[in-house]
Amino acid sequence: MKTLDLGLNRLSTRKTAVLGVLMALQLILSRFSLSPTPMFRLSFTFVATVLMAIWVGPLWASAASALTDIIGTLMMGTPYFVGFTISAMLGAFIYGVFLYEQKPSVWRIIASQILVALIVNLVLNTLWLTLMYQTPFWALLPARGLKELISTPIQIIIVYIILKNSTVRNLGNRL
Amino acid sequence: MDKFIFGRYIPGDSWVHRMDPRSKMLLSFFFIFMIFFANNLLSYGLVFVVLFLAIMMARVSVGFLLKGLKPLLWLMVFTVLIQVFFGAGGEVYWSWWTLQITHDGLISAAFILLRFLAIIMMSTILTLTTKPLQIADGVESLLKPLKVIHFPVETLALMLSLALRFVPTLMDEAQKIMDAQRARGVDFGSGGIKQQVKTVVPLLIPLFMNAFNRAEDIATAMDARGYRDGKNRTKYRELIWQRRDTISSLIFVLSGIILFLIRN
Repeated sequence: MKTLDLGLNRLSTRKTAVLGVLMALQLILSRFSLSPTPMFRLSFTFVATVLMAIWVGPLWASAASALTDIIGTLMMGTPYFVGFTISAMLGAFIYGVFLYEQKPSVWRIIASQILVALIVNLVLNTLWLTLMYQTPFWALLPARGLKELISTPIQIIIVYIILKNSTVRNLGNRL
Repeated sequence: MDKFIFGRYIPGDSWVHRMDPRSKMLLSFFFIFMIFFANNLLSYGLVFVVLFLAIMMARVSVGFLLKGLKPLLWLMVFTVLIQVFFGAGGEVYWSWWTLQITHDGLISAAFILLRFLAIIMMSTILTLTTKPLQIADGVESLLKPLKVIHFPVETLALMLSLALRFVPTLMDEAQKIMDAQRARGVDFGSGGIKQQVKTVVPLLIPLFMNAFNRAEDIATAMDARGYRDGKNRTKYRELIWQRRDTISSLIFVLSGIILFLIRN
């Protein structure tokens, strides 16, 4: 049996286990956020997603992220909406396309983060909120844009530090 | 991180607690779908009758349901206020500059508030009455049709079980790493944004390190126990569709049909 139709080739047991544990980390990190000021929160889920993308590629990373999104929202009691699953998949996919089997250069990190911030967090997620709760799109956009403007540079720096870290690089070689 | 609760399941033995997770999930999605079509007082009334029925059958306390509203509170207030002040149509009660409160604006604000309450409360009921592991089994079972396009459902289901199993363990580990760093003088959650980010990286890297090592050990142990891939295996935990699931589904579908008849 081949799974080549979707390009999701068979994973080694080791990669399966690593992906499972990273999904656990996504769930944990999504509950933990930094808030230097009351109105601004920064969660670190993206770090687990980036590592998934780097270690197993865009397709498996987006499948795993989709599943984490479904199970995470259902468990935490926040309303489930398919749009956010699509966002989670697309985010992981973008990271994978830019960072999988590539040297983690500064420009790749910056480009992937900006794309995810613009397409996924800003436009798509705002659109989903609009569809789901009828919150006016253009009223919501500025507030969310401001948040992305602050968090994107911080995310770029964090991803850069983590990808340049020699321990994390060695882990990737062990896969 | 102390406030972390893994899942918000509350043990109980009600009708809804004993339902099949698949039917619970499908019905709560169906309910959200229903709300999208409600557009007048009568249809919203019906939605709330169904919601009330679900609350009664689940026997969950109102306090827990209200707690579910908290994460989306600001969005709720924001949306309703915009509707109140920028809604147009009908008799104008009050106006100043571009802001105005009108009859139609107030009514649509009220509907949006009801919509918020209904969506969030139904999702909260699902969470409160279903164990995380049951949710995982349900998700796996509902994804099975994707096998037709060779989507590796079994492998993903295995990852999901691993993930759920490791959330508490890695949580403990994170706590230990934090304590260890604290003992060496790191001060979490204070100082400016730069200072706070700086304290997080020494937390994340050992956490990923530990997680990776655990995954490697698990993989070796799985191989040793004869794991090859997700396919061609039997299942130990099986989901059973009972009569209560059929009855609940019928009630929901029936109210869905009625809703279509009474909406504008």
